[in-house]
Amino acid sequence: MGLLTILKKMKQKEREMRLLMLGLDNAGKTTILKKFNGEDVSTISPTLGFNIKTLEHKGFKLNIWDVGGQKSLRSYWRNYFESTDGLVWVVDSADRLRLEDCRKELSALLLEERLAGATLLVFANKQDLPGALSKEAIREALVLDEIKSHHWCIIGCSAVSGENLLAGVDWLLDDIAARIFTAD
Amino acid sequence: MDAASEVEQENGFAGKRGAAKIQERLQKRHQARTDDSDRRKETKENHSVAEEKLEYFSSTFNTERASIEQLLSSCSGAERGVVSQRLEEATAKTAQLKKFLNDSVLFLTQYELRQAQAALQKLQTSLAETREEALPKKKFAFRARSKAADKVASSASDSPDGATAAGTVKVDGAAASEQCGFSNIDSEFLTKTSEEIQNRDVLLTHLTNCKVRLFGSPSTLHLKHIDSCEILCGPVSRSVFVDHCRNSTLAFPCQQLRTHNTTDTQVYLHVTSRAIIEDCHGVSFAPFSWSYPNLEEDFNVSGLDRGRNNWSQVDDFNWLAAGTPSPNWSVITEITFCGNALKASMTI
Repeated sequence: MGLLTILKKMKQKEREMRLLMLGLDNAGKTTILKKFNGEDVSTISPTLGFNIKTLEHKGFKLNIWDVGGQKSLRSYWRNYFESTDGLVWVVDSADRLRLEDCRKELSALLLEERLAGATLLVFANKQDLPGALSKEAIREALVLDEIKSHHWCIIGCSAVSGENLLAGVDWLLDDIAARIFTAD
Repeated sequence: MDAASEVEQENGFAGKRGAAKIQERLQKRHQARTDDSDRRKETKENHSVAEEKLEYFSSTFNTERASIEQLLSSCSGAERGVVSQRLEEATAKTAQLKKFLNDSVLFLTQYELRQAQAALQKLQTSLAETREEALPKKKFAFRARSKAADKVASSASDSPDGATAAGTVKVDGAAASEQCGFSNIDSEFLTKTSEEIQNRDVLLTHLTNCKVRLFGSPSTLHLKHIDSCEILCGPVSRSVFVDHCRNSTLAFPCQQLRTHNTTDTQVYLHVTSRAIIEDCHGVSFAPFSWSYPNLEEDFNVSGLDRGRNNWSQVDDFNWLAAGTPSPNWSVITEITFCGNALKASMTI
């Protein structure tokens, strides 16, 4: 076994990504995480601290951090910023009254230096509710088109049915992989 | 490349240690090969199980769908009472079908899922159309009581509240008609029927001195800026979100409850996971005790577990000291008294 083989093997081991999932409380972050991992979503409680899941997807090892969104927890979000490859911002599409809050929190996050290199995926969640706003309306309300500092994408999804979760995560992985593993 | 190096190694072994080694290696390889084929067989079997499930899914889904369609088509020309009963049944069946689809998502392919969702969507649209046709919506039934309140309500609904809507005006205008609920109403008795709220997201905002009865099973419930109200609701299949509520009485079963900025409020609760409070004072909890004729049915539609109620396990985000109970919430002790009071007030 030559040196090159060893190096390649090490590189393969490093195909690891760190994803940080944030959003206001009641957005459905934990439900997305559990549904994506194939777990029961009917017993989920409001998140008191955070959940971490490590899972394999498309040959990558994903470390997903799901941090509670209550107001009193938001000041702790910054403790999780370090070496984040992808930021998943989850929005309750049916909660019109807090969209302004949602926009403010997101734009504050995007100013964070430690998140500067991260790709942003916005999940417009709860699309299965009849009163949910479309992903275009959410895109407008969060003024996503103004974002020039990050690669971003918005995807309408439903954590309860699992619709479009895969599509979102796949986009995120492709974008991150194109950035990080270009050497392969 | 791997194979080549292995052959090389094998030759080396053959030269040095003779036939016994070769025999052993050959056996090993044979073993590996049979293991491999076993594994392949197993995955194949798993696949066939998945197909069976798929078949079961599509046949069940289609039968259910056909029966709902039949129900809907039988509505035209029938009597009013019969129609409403049939519509009720169709709504409940559609909800069950949706649940079935959600439960089956795991083993469905993307295509089948999309097909089923489209079929379901079509069904819901035709359900709504049939309802619109057979039973045109009544205006608020309790409006006639006070003319002053009527005026307030209509003027308020003409101009949405500037303070809260400021940030989201653009979006509000577009989809306001799809929002189900009540807002900007003072001193009225408000009700919604099961057909109006079944599987919908219901929003109640800026209500003062109102009594609200929501008979049915909504998907989610949002309460914001509620003052001195009594709000009773049927089983909410997912989460309830309460913000800026004071001096009120609330009652509902739900999966999760989040309560923010709320003071002096009693909550008669059935919660299957957990309830939390944040920035609240004087919130007290008791087990859900309201009842109405179709409650059982609505519980079934919501999918909530009747046997699991964590109403007394409330987490306070402003009180992290373990061992010492939070001063911000308490348990209502005179359960029977309040329960009776609640029931008595229901009979109005």
